[in-house]
Amino acid sequence: MRLLTRASLRYLTQHRLQLLLSVLGVALGVAVVLSIDLAIQSARTGFRISAETVSGRATHVLASDVGFVDEGLLASLRIDLDVPAAAPVVEGYATSARLPGRALRILGIDPFSEGPFRPYVAGGPTGVDVSRLITTRRGVALSSGLASSGGLTPGDSLAVTVEGQAWTLPVVEVIEPGDELARAGLADVLLMDIAGAQEVLRMTGRLSRIDLRLEDDAEGAARVAAVESALPGGVGLQSVGTRSETMSGMIAAFDVNLTALSLLALIFGMFLIYNAVTFSVVQRRQILGRLRALGVTRGEIVRMILSEALWIGALGAVLGTVAGLFLARGLVGMVARTINDLYFAVSVQGIDLEPLLLVKGWVLGIGATLLAALPPALEAAGANPRMAALRSVVESRARRLVPRAAAWGAVLCLVGAGLLLIPTRSLAVSFTALFFVITGLAFATPAGTLVLVGAVRPILGRLAGTLGLIAARGVGTSLSRTAPAIAALVVAVSVTVGLGVMIQSFRGTLVQWLDGTLRADVYVSLPGPGASRATGTLWPDLVDDFVAHPQVSGYSTYRGIDLIREGDAFRLVALELDPRGESAFDFLDGAREEIMSRFRAGEGVIASEPYVFSRGLEVGDAVTLTTDQGERALPIVGVFYDYGSEQGTVMMARSLYDRLFDDPGITSLGLFLEDEANSDVVVGELLSIVPDGRAVIARTNDSLRSASLEVFDRTFQVTAVLRLLAFVVAFVGVLSALAALQLERARELGLLRASGMTPGQLGRLVVTQTGLIGLAAGVLAVPMGLALSVVMIFVVNKRSFGWTLNMEVGPEVLLQAVGLALVGALLAGVYPAWKMARTSPALALRGE
Amino acid sequence: MRDREGPSIDLIDVHKSYEEGERTHEVLTGASVTIPAGQRVAILGPSGSGKSTLLNLMSGIDLPDSGTVRIGDTDLGRLSERDRTLFRRDHIGFVFQFFNLLPTLTVLENLLLPLELSGRANGVRAGRGVDGSGVGAEEQARALLDAVELGARADAFPDRLSGGEQQRVAIARSLVHEPDLLLADEPTGNLDEDTGDRVIEVLESLVAAGRTTLVVVTHSRELAGRMDRILELDHGRLRDG
Repeated sequence: MRLLTRASLRYLTQHRLQLLLSVLGVALGVAVVLSIDLAIQSARTGFRISAETVSGRATHVLASDVGFVDEGLLASLRIDLDVPAAAPVVEGYATSARLPGRALRILGIDPFSEGPFRPYVAGGPTGVDVSRLITTRRGVALSSGLASSGGLTPGDSLAVTVEGQAWTLPVVEVIEPGDELARAGLADVLLMDIAGAQEVLRMTGRLSRIDLRLEDDAEGAARVAAVESALPGGVGLQSVGTRSETMSGMIAAFDVNLTALSLLALIFGMFLIYNAVTFSVVQRRQILGRLRALGVTRGEIVRMILSEALWIGALGAVLGTVAGLFLARGLVGMVARTINDLYFAVSVQGIDLEPLLLVKGWVLGIGATLLAALPPALEAAGANPRMAALRSVVESRARRLVPRAAAWGAVLCLVGAGLLLIPTRSLAVSFTALFFVITGLAFATPAGTLVLVGAVRPILGRLAGTLGLIAARGVGTSLSRTAPAIAALVVAVSVTVGLGVMIQSFRGTLVQWLDGTLRADVYVSLPGPGASRATGTLWPDLVDDFVAHPQVSGYSTYRGIDLIREGDAFRLVALELDPRGESAFDFLDGAREEIMSRFRAGEGVIASEPYVFSRGLEVGDAVTLTTDQGERALPIVGVFYDYGSEQGTVMMARSLYDRLFDDPGITSLGLFLEDEANSDVVVGELLSIVPDGRAVIARTNDSLRSASLEVFDRTFQVTAVLRLLAFVVAFVGVLSALAALQLERARELGLLRASGMTPGQLGRLVVTQTGLIGLAAGVLAVPMGLALSVVMIFVVNKRSFGWTLNMEVGPEVLLQAVGLALVGALLAGVYPAWKMARTSPALALRGE
Repeated sequence: MRDREGPSIDLIDVHKSYEEGERTHEVLTGASVTIPAGQRVAILGPSGSGKSTLLNLMSGIDLPDSGTVRIGDTDLGRLSERDRTLFRRDHIGFVFQFFNLLPTLTVLENLLLPLELSGRANGVRAGRGVDGSGVGAEEQARALLDAVELGARADAFPDRLSGGEQQRVAIARSLVHEPDLLLADEPTGNLDEDTGDRVIEVLESLVAAGRTTLVVVTHSRELAGRMDRILELDHGRLRDG
C-alpha cells in the first residue's frame, strides 16, 4: 500500500468517532433514499402485477365513465361485430374479518370466455376447475397464499362484507399459481363466476368492463375502429396499457414529494460529509502543508482526500443498504396505506428488491460523499504550502470570505426565487429552486452568526465574565471550522421548521375546510377499501328509511365515481343538495349564489381547484364526459376549494347526472336533523334499522371530521418519519462537527487549564460555546424555515397538488426548532467538556 | 552516497512582499546572491527579516514578486506549480525548525515517503550504499537511520521520540532521496545546545558525504561559523557577513 494511503487510513482509524459519524451520515442518507424508493417501487409493483394479473392478456377494455356497462353489449360484440376474444368482467372489493386489513378484490369472470385472457382460469395444470366455480352458487377460488393466510381449504366458507352487505362465500378451489408473478398478482383476488360476482356486487345485468384482445396489426386496427363506431353512448374503448399508466400516474406527485424528501435526507448527509472532510482537512492543514513541502502535488492531495471520502462513502453505502432494507419494510406499509386511503386499492406483498434501486442508492451515497468532499479537497490542495500551516491565515481568510459568501448566498436565493417565478408546473424546477434557496441561506449563515454573536457578546460578558467573552469570541475566531457546522445545523433546523409549518398550515386549512364543508349533521356511506373515498351504492330502501326518520329535516345525496379514462383520472360526483348544503362550497372567484343557481339548473359543472390547476383549465372551459347520450362537453361554471382529492373532482347537479347517465345509485347521504335532535342518538337509531347482514357507516359531523383528520395525519406519517430521519442525520452531523471542533481545540483548552482554569470552568466554557452556536443556529433557522415554508406552501405544494393553503405558524414549531438546535449543540459540548476536564493539561499541551 | 555535486543557486534582484491586513510588508527588496555548487551557507538575520521566505523561494514553495531564482540551470519562476513541486520532490531536501514529521507514519515510513514520491521506492536501486553499491529503498532508509543513530526506532511513531531524535529523523528524511540541495530552517532552533550540536554534526557529515549544497537559516552565530560562508539578511537584501 502506498505510504500516502497508509497515512490517510491511519488518520481515519485514529479518529474513529469522526469516521463513525461520517459513515453514519452517508448510511442514514442512503437508507432513507433507498427505503423510500423501495417502498414506492414495491407499491407500484404491487399495483402493476395485480393489474396485469387481473387484465391478463387483454389489450383493450370497454368501459364507461360511470363504472359499468350493460351486459347486452357483450352479445352484440360477439354477434354483430364478430369480435372473437371478448371477456366480461365484474370487479369490486370485499373485506373479511378472517383476512383483516386486506382489500379483497372480487374478480367475476365467465370461465368460458377466458381462454385468450387469464391463463390461471383457462384450465390446464395450474388452472381452475371451472365446473365447480360455475356450479357452486357464489363459489370462490383463491390463491394458495390467500387461502393459507385465512386458514381456508376447499369446502370452507369465507364470510365477507361487500359494499356493506354480508355474504358467505363457499371456497370451491385453491389455485396454485404457476409462477411468482401470478402468486403476487392473485394474492388478494377472490375469483368468482360472473353471475355470483354480479349478485354480491349488486350488478345484475351489468359488467364492470369487457376485456378485449385485439391484434396489433392492420386487422386489429380495423377492428378497433369498427368497435369504436358501434359503441353505444357512455361506453368507450381504452387501451389497457394507457389505463394502467393513468392509474399509476395518479401517485406521481406523491412519489415526487417523497423522493424529494428522501433526497433532502441525503443532502443533510452531504453536509455531514462536508463537515467531516472539511474538519479532517482543517485538522491536518499542517500535515498537508508538510506533504506539499516534501513534493506531494496538488493532484495527489486531492486524490488522497477523495480516496478517504470514497472509503467513507462505500462503507456508508453498504451499511445504508442494510438499514434501508429494514426501513423499507416499515415504510412500505405506510406508503401502501396512504395510496389505499387517497388513490386506489393496492396490495403490497413485500419489498420489491429492484437491483437498479440498490445501484442508485450506492451511486447517490458514494457520489454525494465525493461531491461533498471535493470542495475541502480542492481547498486543501490549493493552499500554499507555506500558508497552509498558518492558522491565522486560514481564519483571517475565512473571515474575509464571510461577506462574499453572504453575497453569493443572496445571489443563489435570487436564482432560486427567479426559478420559482417561472410559470411552470414542473416539480423538478420547484425542487431545484428550493435547493438554490436552501444553499443560498446556508451561505448567508456565517454572516448571520457573526451578527448574532456580536450582539450576544456583551450580554455574555456581563453574565459570565471573561469566560463568556472567550466563548463568544471563539465562535468568530474559529469560523473556518464553526461556519460549516452552523450552516448544517441551520439548514437542518430550517427545513424541519419549513416542513412543520407546511404540515401545520395544511392541517389548519383542512380543518377550516371541513368546518365549512361538513354542513349535514349525519353522514351515511358504505364501508370500503379507501378511507377517503366513499364507494359502492347504498340500498335504495335503506335510503328511503333513513330520510324518513322523524328527526331528519332534509338531506343531500352524493354519487361518487372514480373515473379513469385515457390519460386522465378524476372523481365525478352527482349532488342533490339540501339548500343548507349549498353553503359548503367556497369558490375561488364569482358569487356563490349565482354559481350554485347555474349548477342547480344543470347549466354546467363545478370543478375543484386541483382539477382545473393540474389540467390548466378555468371557468368557461369544458369538461368532456362520455355520457349515455354520447360525448358531452359541460362548461365549468365555478371552481371550488377542495382538499379531498388530489386528482380533482367534478361535480354536477343530480338532475343533470340523471339526464346524462342511467345510474340511479347513491354513494352517500348527508342528513340534516331537526334543531333539537341529538346526532349521536339519531345515528344509533338509524343503525338499528339496518337489516341484519348489511352494514353502513353512519357518522355524526364531528366523528366524520375526526376520521378525515385521522386520514390526514396518516397521510403525513411518512413525511413525519422522513422529517425525523432528516433531522437525525443533521443532528448527528452537528454533534460530530461541534464535538470534533472542541476536541481539536485540546491544546488551546489545555493551555487554559494550565493557566489555572478548573475543570468545571472549562466545561462551562465549552458548553457555553457550543450552546451559543446552537442558539445562533436555532434563531437563524426560524426566519429561514419560514421562508422555506412559504416556498413549500405556495409553490411546491400548489404545483404538486394544486391546493391553496392558508399559512399558519404555531409558536410550538418555532420553539421546537430553537430548542432542538440548542439541545443538540449543548449535547455536542458535553463529551469534549467531560474529556478535557479529565485530561491532564500537560498531555493536552504536549505537541507531536 | 552521491556521485555528483549539488547545484549552484542564483538569486537575482528578488523582491517579495506580503499583505498584512491593509498594509503591505516588504520582506525582500532586491536580494541577490550566487551560491556555488556544493557550498555550505548560513543565512543570518533577525526574526522577521525574511530568512524563511528566502528558503521558501529557493525551494519553489513560494514565488518572488519579481526577480529570478535559479537552481542550477533551472529558473524556478518559469516552472508551473506542478513542475516546481516535482522539482522540489526530486532535487531538494528540507529540514524544518519544528521537524514536521508526519505523525501517522512511522519513522521508517517517514523516510520512505520522499523515495516513494520520486518513484524510487520500488525501484531496483533507490540510491547507493556507503560503499557505492546500489541499494533498495528500505535498505537506503535504514542505512540513513543507522547513520543518525536511530536504527532501533524505525518502527516507532514520531510522537514517541524526543525533539532531538525527531530532528535527526527529519534530517535523514531530507537526505534520503539524495537531493542536490538541502535547505534547513532553524534546524537547532527548537533544541537544547548539546542536542543541537549533535544534530548539526549529523547534518554536516551527511551533507559532506553527499556533496550536497546546503543552505541553513539560523540565529546561531556558532552554527553559522561552521559553514563555508555566512550571508546576512539586512533590510531585505543579502550581503556576505
